[in-house]
Amino acid sequence: MKRRPYVLLAELTYGCPLHCPYCSNPVSSPAEVELDTGEWNRVFQEAARLGVLHVGLSGGEPLLRRDLPEIISAAHDSGLYTNLITSGLGLDFARARQLRASGLDSIQISFQADEAVIGDSIAGARAHHHKIDAAAAVTQAGLPLSLNVVLHRHNIERLPAIFSLAESLGAQRLELANVQFYGWAWLNRKSLLPSRDQAQAAFALAQSAKERLAGRMEVIYVLPDYFEERPKPCMQGWGERYLTVNPIGQVLPCPNATSIPGLQFENVRQQSLENIWNESESFNRFRGEEWMPLPCRECPERHVDFGGCRCQAALLTGDPSATDPVCSLSPHHLMLQNTVREETSDLDASSWSARQNPAR
Amino acid sequence: MSSLDLSQRPILASHARLQIDSVSGDPVLLFPEGLLVLNATAHEIVRRCNGKISIAELIRQLTEEFDASEEVLRSDILENLDQLRQRNLIILSK
Repeated sequence: MKRRPYVLLAELTYGCPLHCPYCSNPVSSPAEVELDTGEWNRVFQEAARLGVLHVGLSGGEPLLRRDLPEIISAAHDSGLYTNLITSGLGLDFARARQLRASGLDSIQISFQADEAVIGDSIAGARAHHHKIDAAAAVTQAGLPLSLNVVLHRHNIERLPAIFSLAESLGAQRLELANVQFYGWAWLNRKSLLPSRDQAQAAFALAQSAKERLAGRMEVIYVLPDYFEERPKPCMQGWGERYLTVNPIGQVLPCPNATSIPGLQFENVRQQSLENIWNESESFNRFRGEEWMPLPCRECPERHVDFGGCRCQAALLTGDPSATDPVCSLSPHHLMLQNTVREETSDLDASSWSARQNPAR
Repeated sequence: MSSLDLSQRPILASHARLQIDSVSGDPVLLFPEGLLVLNATAHEIVRRCNGKISIAELIRQLTEEFDASEEVLRSDILENLDQLRQRNLIILSK
């Protein structure tokens, strides 16, 4: 069967009112003009023709786009299932109702913690109480609500309270995503990485909450992969199911791909999405198995994990074609384990660099 | 497995959307961050999850449509509904 993407991540802007130290946006974002409404409309139509069914409207903070209702309509009219991925800042009942009327299918609001003191210190802004109001506005407008909480050293022990918060806000879905170390999080790793004990306790809590809440709220727990023995099946394979279009129109096989040295990315301003998906060097670079090193190339699990994450391999080993060091079969696995032990020996050593936001 | 009451009326959850995949022609159920590709039976079931008809009526309609034995179809339908409920994709009401 022909290879097709299922999910498009549409990063509408790099602008954001928050300064989270694990932001997934590039550490230095290019100062080029953002795609306009008409360009996004074309992207959605081309994506739907290629086979995309889901679009995540993200950023930065997508609510900063004044044309967000038009962008949502365009995605909806192309037949895509639309999910808004937002901090919640700037979202009140009137706006939530307007977005729903534009065809929005669901909203995901990020929380930094269950309460304001920790939450606001991580966000670098007085954000927590706005998020509570935004979540209420979302359910009042009749939109399905998901919460996303990035977990790290400073909030991972708050899990029981985080479950209570999600329940009290009427969330249908709670995504607990242990921080993955790319971009800003890579810079701040020493102050974000949880200890192995913290990670194990959190895993047990998440498992029991999953069972307790089954049928009421879906709980998704994204493992902290530095503590695993096998790598995550990153993006379900490079260039297999996902594509990202960033605010300036570059098309990426994964949201962090610009961190990989030596890769060039095509732009929707110059080429069709179909052409980029099928023909571009960047999408073909790690497709299939040709590129794999040993031990991946001969490993029976290569069809399960696809050799892990290319961005992680590049960051940890300098070589984007290396086996993901999370894998116990990687020659770099011991190095990663030693690093984790060293960096979590003193959990109080915690100063981070807040994300600097680009001008728009 | 199922503790489903046949008088209950299933309705698709507000975050779930049924549509036909334009590439494969398959019916798909879309929801936040996921999708299910439906087989013919599942498609006929999900199409009827509108909050208006009971599970018993749904079984009757599908037995007629597929011209199949009610015994076989009943367990298939109940299993499908139970799975959809566990994944929060349908809600059952009286």
